[in-house]
Amino acid sequence: MNVIEVSNLRRVYNANVGAIRRSHKEIVAVDGISFHIEGGELFGLLGPNGAGKTTTVKMLTTMLIPTDGSIRILGLDVVRDAKKLRSRIGFIYGGERGLYWRLSGIDNLRYFGSLYHLDPQATRKRIPELLEMVGLSERGEEKVEGYSRGMKQRLHVARALLHDPEVLFLDEPTLGLDPVGARDLRTIIRNLQAENKTILLTTHYMLEADALCQRIAVINKGKIVAEGSPAELKSIVSDLSVIEVEVFGSVDDFLPTLRAQSFVDALSIENREQKQVLLIQSPAGAEAVSPLLGLLAGVRVGKVIVREPTLEDAYIRLVEEDV
Amino acid sequence: MSDLSNLRANLRVIFSAAEMALRSNLTDGFVFFGIVIQPTIIALLAFWMLRDQGNDAIIYVVIGSGMTGLWTMALFISGQAISGERWTGTLEMLVATPTPLYIVVIGKTLANVLQSLVAMVATYALAGLVFGVLPRILRPGMFTLSLFFAVISYISFGLIISPLFVLNPQVRRLQNGLEFPVYILGGFFFPIALLPGWTTPLSYILPPYWAARALHGASSGGAVSDILFAIGMMILFILIYGMITARLFQRILYKARVEATLVRQ
Ligand SMILES: Nc1ncnc2c1ncn2[C@@H]1O[C@H](COP(=O)(O)OP(=O)(O)OP(=O)(O)O)[C@@H](O)[C@H]1O
Ligand SMILES: [Mg+2]
Repeated sequence: MNVIEVSNLRRVYNANVGAIRRSHKEIVAVDGISFHIEGGELFGLLGPNGAGKTTTVKMLTTMLIPTDGSIRILGLDVVRDAKKLRSRIGFIYGGERGLYWRLSGIDNLRYFGSLYHLDPQATRKRIPELLEMVGLSERGEEKVEGYSRGMKQRLHVARALLHDPEVLFLDEPTLGLDPVGARDLRTIIRNLQAENKTILLTTHYMLEADALCQRIAVINKGKIVAEGSPAELKSIVSDLSVIEVEVFGSVDDFLPTLRAQSFVDALSIENREQKQVLLIQSPAGAEAVSPLLGLLAGVRVGKVIVREPTLEDAYIRLVEEDV
Repeated sequence: MSDLSNLRANLRVIFSAAEMALRSNLTDGFVFFGIVIQPTIIALLAFWMLRDQGNDAIIYVVIGSGMTGLWTMALFISGQAISGERWTGTLEMLVATPTPLYIVVIGKTLANVLQSLVAMVATYALAGLVFGVLPRILRPGMFTLSLFFAVISYISFGLIISPLFVLNPQVRRLQNGLEFPVYILGGFFFPIALLPGWTTPLSYILPPYWAARALHGASSGGAVSDILFAIGMMILFILIYGMITARLFQRILYKARVEATLVRQ
């Protein structure tokens, strides 16, 4: 059964531009997207900065009214039945804001417990369990203003779970967490899924999406450009290999020539400290390496690797193709 | 049944919001100045100026300035409540819960008003001791009852302005503009009979006016029927303003979700 049904969803912002002569500009943040999420499913929403992920999540969590289209969650309409829906969903928007910094972590949770109309006795029992789960047991009595960024993020996780919601929206939940913290959070997310919660997750970490999500939608400029299981998305690039070429110094002049080659399907550049890495998707695989290096004559080249494509490569392909 | 348990849950929120506000205040030096130092200075000055007057005059001024303090507090805090939450990003978190937002604002305002009430009583008692003039309240029972409803009616009136802050922080100007006219129209310091006739209907629709009438009446030994009438009017206006406020909050929060103003950009 579908727990979340989104159809033809659109959201337009009216932004003020210019300080003196105020004029309005319409920004189409979400441009007619449709998808559904089944009960117990963990669904990923991926896309570049400004693609419309947060806007979508805010509409799903009743904080923004859609300009057009409809959303039903647990059979309830997000606009008409917002009130009923709110006690059945939980969310994290990512980042440090949205907590009372002058109060302790425990006091924050107690307050939200009462706001969610939870039984005080039950809340008192639940808070230590949640703090334990997010690894804040020892710091719960301290004021939030003394927490690190990641600790605040963890407290948000506890807050989101306080009322034991059936559906969860996690907008970049691992943003700013250290590797161990991020791994712990992924374990928490897996456990939540094992409890049969329906989860929508946005992230910029492809490995995370690959490891967690059953289904993924890639959104770019407000539109869904692909949807499927991680394996299905990877199959978009399965006939290709990825060639990684380490280069030192600027290669900008070479890019147009490289892109024009028949054996180059997609090309992107990653910056890693003093060196850059050219990521080339090619159907020719290892055979493309020598012509490629020939074209890079005069450039200092480091390691060259030919590998199988990953979800990230599929993502890059989808997002670049759309440009 | 679900309404009743909702009511209980919302009452609980009022108390926890109040507790939160008090805890935060304890760590804020500015608030400490506002509720302890400043009233003490005012009370000392007032008693010094009034030291040769009779009980009637003193009690009138004490209650008048007390009401001024409470009204300023109610107006300031309920206005501040929402913009503060918006600033810290907690407004969205509050809106996301099943508790109506005005319940939270009531809790915060109540805490601050009660806190300044306690501070005020203490400072007047202290100043009275210093100058050896302890004003007497002639009908203590009626006075307590009036005070109870006065606090609620200040809050209900202050609350009506508060939702406008979600839409537009410029509303602060309106808020400042409301402080002084209410002192005058509410009859805090002198009877409204001294004002031009056309202002009287304005006074009658202000809950603070009925609060002032009940409190002045009870302290100076006015007729019980008049005090009860003023209390009745307070209750009436609390209900009317409460209903308007609830609707206003609903409308304005909807608008904020359309215009994406729940959170500061
Ligand atoms: N309140 C707002 N007013 C005007 N424009 C907005 C507002 N919020 C978002 N936008 C615009 O809407 C578009 C989508 O933004 P959104 O925050 O949904 O992207 P996102 O996919 O979450 O990006 P990121 O990965 O950076 O978090 C962007 O162009 C953004 O500038
Ligand atoms: Mg975002």
